[in-house]
Amino acid sequence: MNLDYRLALVLLLAVPAAAAIVCALLGRTRGHLIRWVALAATLVNVFLALYVALGFLGERNYSPVARTPFGMAVTFQPELVPGADPADIHRTTWKLIDFGRLGAIQFYIGLDGINVWLIVLTAVLLVPSVLISWNSITERVNEYYAWLLTLGAGMLGVFLAFDIILFYIFFELTLVPLFFLIGIWGGPERRYAARKFFIYTLAGSLLTFLGLLAVVVVCYHKPVDITAPELTFSIPDLVRAVNTHLMMNLPADRAFWSTFQFWVFLALFAGFAIKVPLVPVHTWLPLAHVEAPTAGSVLLAGVLLKLGTYGFLRLCLPLAPDASLQIGLPLIGVLSVIGIIYGAFCALAQSDIKKLVAYSSISHLGFCMLGMFAFNLAGLTGGLLQMINHGLSTGALFLLVGMLYDRYHTRQMADFGGMGAKLGALTFCMVFICLASVGLPGLNGFVGEALVFFGMFEVRPLYAVLGAAGIVLGAWYLLSMLKGVFFGPLKEPEQEGHPIKDLDSREVAAIAPIMALCLFLGVYPQPVIRSAQDDLRIVETLLQNRKPVLAANQTGDALAQEPRQAKEPTQ
Amino acid sequence: MFDDVRNYLWLIPALPLLASALIALFGYSALRERSHWPCILGAGVSCVLSVLALIGVAGGADGGAVYYTWFQSGTVNVGFSLQADGLTAVMLVMVTFIGTLIAIYSAGYMRGAPGYPRYFAFVSLFLFSMTLLVLANNFILLYAAWEGVGLCSYLLIGFWYQRPAAAAAARKAFLVTRLGDIGLFLGILLLWKSFGHSLDYNEVFMAAARNPDPALLVPACLLLFLGAAGKSAQFPLHVWLPDAMEGPSPVSALIHAATMVTAGVYLVARCMPLFGLAPDAQLIVAIIGAFTALLAALIALTQTDLKRVLAYSTVSQLGFMFLALGAGTAQYGLAGLAVTAAIFHLFTHAFFKALLFLGAGSVMHAMGDVIDMRRFGGLRKVLPVTHWTFLCGAAALAGVPLLSGFWSKDEILAVAWDAGGQGAPHTGVYRLLFFSALVTAGLTAFYSARAYFMTFWGEERIPEEAYHHHVGDAASVACESEDEATPAASPTPHFESPGIMTWPLRILAVGAVGVGIVVVLPMGHFLEAHWIRQRFPQSLLPAESAHGHNILLMFVSGLVALAGIGLAYLFYVKKPALPGVLAKSAVRLYEASRNKFYLDELYAAFIVKPLSGLAQLLRVLDQYIVDGLVDLCGQIPSFFSFLFLRPVQNGLVQFYAILMALGVGGFLLSVLLR
Repeated sequence: MNLDYRLALVLLLAVPAAAAIVCALLGRTRGHLIRWVALAATLVNVFLALYVALGFLGERNYSPVARTPFGMAVTFQPELVPGADPADIHRTTWKLIDFGRLGAIQFYIGLDGINVWLIVLTAVLLVPSVLISWNSITERVNEYYAWLLTLGAGMLGVFLAFDIILFYIFFELTLVPLFFLIGIWGGPERRYAARKFFIYTLAGSLLTFLGLLAVVVVCYHKPVDITAPELTFSIPDLVRAVNTHLMMNLPADRAFWSTFQFWVFLALFAGFAIKVPLVPVHTWLPLAHVEAPTAGSVLLAGVLLKLGTYGFLRLCLPLAPDASLQIGLPLIGVLSVIGIIYGAFCALAQSDIKKLVAYSSISHLGFCMLGMFAFNLAGLTGGLLQMINHGLSTGALFLLVGMLYDRYHTRQMADFGGMGAKLGALTFCMVFICLASVGLPGLNGFVGEALVFFGMFEVRPLYAVLGAAGIVLGAWYLLSMLKGVFFGPLKEPEQEGHPIKDLDSREVAAIAPIMALCLFLGVYPQPVIRSAQDDLRIVETLLQNRKPVLAANQTGDALAQEPRQAKEPTQ
Repeated sequence: MFDDVRNYLWLIPALPLLASALIALFGYSALRERSHWPCILGAGVSCVLSVLALIGVAGGADGGAVYYTWFQSGTVNVGFSLQADGLTAVMLVMVTFIGTLIAIYSAGYMRGAPGYPRYFAFVSLFLFSMTLLVLANNFILLYAAWEGVGLCSYLLIGFWYQRPAAAAAARKAFLVTRLGDIGLFLGILLLWKSFGHSLDYNEVFMAAARNPDPALLVPACLLLFLGAAGKSAQFPLHVWLPDAMEGPSPVSALIHAATMVTAGVYLVARCMPLFGLAPDAQLIVAIIGAFTALLAALIALTQTDLKRVLAYSTVSQLGFMFLALGAGTAQYGLAGLAVTAAIFHLFTHAFFKALLFLGAGSVMHAMGDVIDMRRFGGLRKVLPVTHWTFLCGAAALAGVPLLSGFWSKDEILAVAWDAGGQGAPHTGVYRLLFFSALVTAGLTAFYSARAYFMTFWGEERIPEEAYHHHVGDAASVACESEDEATPAASPTPHFESPGIMTWPLRILAVGAVGVGIVVVLPMGHFLEAHWIRQRFPQSLLPAESAHGHNILLMFVSGLVALAGIGLAYLFYVKKPALPGVLAKSAVRLYEASRNKFYLDELYAAFIVKPLSGLAQLLRVLDQYIVDGLVDLCGQIPSFFSFLFLRPVQNGLVQFYAILMALGVGGFLLSVLLR
């Protein structure tokens, strides 16, 4: 079989979208068929994701940083772009909205080291999301799977997009399906939770949209090549344009770019920080998680939160490097450390297992942000790995909590005890995933966390030291949960009569692949790390190049101000 | 294949790992009650390979290899790299030998227990982690194995997870050691940042020797020591080890006496090229060690649970080892002697303490899981093999002259004495520590003799449970003809453990008695030639090889040991009323010791409770204040809408979405068409 990689990339979006339509059209009564259609679509998508990932690994045999033309800033160079421009295979010719001579909003998608594994993660997590809903969703089945698959397509689109408008469309598109998933199939407070989730994240991301547009407009009005001003929405082009301006470091423009970056940073921060979520804009998350159906929680924690961290990595750091260095590091560093400790303490105090896991997400995402804002290769790699690791382990935690809930219809820890004796396989999986989640070496969490700490210790040892408290707190709440729910004398919640069985094959099929990936990424993460290095080095280079310039500018400013200050005493 | 150590070095951890995987996969289907076989075979073959590695190292063939890159990014490079030198070889032999014996013993001890395959899978996994720990050639791999043994400890302490005490003890052990692990990890980060972004032992040590800046070395060493203190149960992180006795007895012998708890000692010994250059850090190591030794010995005096006595004894003996390590400074080239003494004691301690725990396990096995020494006594006749093997272990622990514990304890006292010599830094403190150690040695002799006399001497008392326990078990061995309903009718039920348990006891007893006198000289020379001379910076090496024994000191410490034993004999055999009288006359001291100086209560009151309270506070804060503010913000638009936008707020999300799209589109157009 010889499927064109570029076609496969388009299919990756088209298959879930098409399957969503099919599911919706099949009607409410044919539940079984709908489930199988959804499962088939997600399995095909896993295959496609792995296929394009392998294609990417084969395609990329150069260092993007080394291939940058002289005098230009480095930028992302996506591979396998559908509709590639023959002159430059990293660009596309496919246009969505053409503004004629000005330029066009393009259907510009592609793969690079930063998004490739996130796409695999998304595709992989969609399968258990379908499987876990198999029996628990019985009402309006067609709509449910339609929304679930739409959500999948939307998330894949965000990661794939290299056009800033396309990115934003997909970014917002993910809200709608999840809004309905929570609002229709959620828990008792589902309407409140869905509305809060929707409005909260939308409010932030509208500001983000303003920031993105500002970048587009400014790059149009201040073209690098003055002879050919072009309206571009391409993320690589915008990154290159902004950073080339910064590299030129014209004294006349310096103040403008500095202010401009400040506002762009704040605008992007508004949307992405809510999405991550950073403390104190996190309160939509526990609510949304508790009310969402299991599959919603899995995708929300596993993938949707990554849209925030991915946004920082793909857009915020490259488009506002100076602001990221100057205000991003102290601001996000402090918020991440607070998030790590605050989230862990809140998790410790919960009585609802699902809420505990939700707060643990806040804590873990703090590690992820801490790594990225170290701005060195180790930290960025650690941050990226943490996105994948958290997606796997927290996704799996929600799956397991969902399996427990399916059996007993309660998630209160006080109702449970000694489940290990009753549900051996589930307990094994839970212990395994908890250990992955607390960063036990040999499982996936450790490598990412270690790299984050190495990266941050290099830059701000204090943040790393404070963040390390999260290591022990994380173990505290998860092991306490294990002790309370799974160990000790058997104590079963009241439930209506039907016999409680251990994991069935469908549930094993949902959880086992994730556990295998956790083990693999813990023992042999180097292929993943290796494939992301070149592209993370782009981000690193953009930021690290700014450090000496900023320092020089600052001393330059200080020198310029010094004579004035020197005069004052004489007056 | 066997000419180069590197060819088979990786097999030493790999075989137990394979065994663990096999048991995990087939334990509940194919293996079942044969699940111990992969574990025993894996451990046994690893032991043979370890001995080969030892011979190889002795022949000068030490070496290491990077088998694959675990992870590498930027300046962080972690390879799966193993190495064998003198220290590693000694540790490997000890770990795999004792591991094999304990695996064999477990096959008898755990027979018929639910979760039998699970037990052996965990033990094999532990042996994998522990051998990896001593084989690792860089700090991160060491840390990984360090966490790995911690995991196995957690899983095995909580093996009987349905017992609330076991579940609680497992969690406590994991959390307290993890607190120390943070120190270890931060210490590694600091070393990495300060000494050339390397994680390999040798590169870090060489960089540190080139630039021995105390401002970096002292904090780095103290952080590493925090990790070591957590794992090796030193004050103030020792509280988890006594609780860990909730695990099966062979686990206590293997993990919580012979191997894992010595990982901290191994770490500090391994990093002696750093510690030796930081005398201020060394002083703290020595003080903590000596203090822990004394504190734990005082607690051990009054415990009535046999396994807890042994657990506190382990804490105390580990304290001795840290005292020795802490005495190793550049002065007089003591570093080499210090690590030799510590590792020697680690080695002998592994034998006699494993023996004592297995003996206690054998007692427990016979007494129907009763381990309170007040409930049984005079078991000399009932458990003959257990009795004499336990005697060997207790005598070695007490430091009876010429037994193994005597030699190693004496070396430690000698090093502590030398560290207080004229002209050395902190002379007075080290002298004080020496006398404290001498007192501790006397206490050690007393409590080990006390445990022995209380269990095996006096009038014969056997608890009720022992008979119930043996209904199904011993019946099959000894009194097959007896019917199950009237066990008491059987005049002398057979209590002694089966051969599969007593043979490991016999072998270990021989070791506990003889290993000291056999290896006391060769081990010192071996460690010096194949480890210290190669790895330590020049400034830490002694001018000449010095292994002279201080005859006077040997005499004194022998006397102290015998005095302690004699006192215990007087108290618990001759005049059994005396302890009660003494306890009444010093009631507060007695109660303090019996209640472990209230440290658990103090931690609960001053650390656990406030943190849990903080957690509850933050939960409420999060729910009502942080989220409350958000909801308040959410009210603002509806407040305005109440005034003049009511009709637009029709509650249809689609409608809002259209408005948003329109607004954004309009904005876009206005910008573009400007």
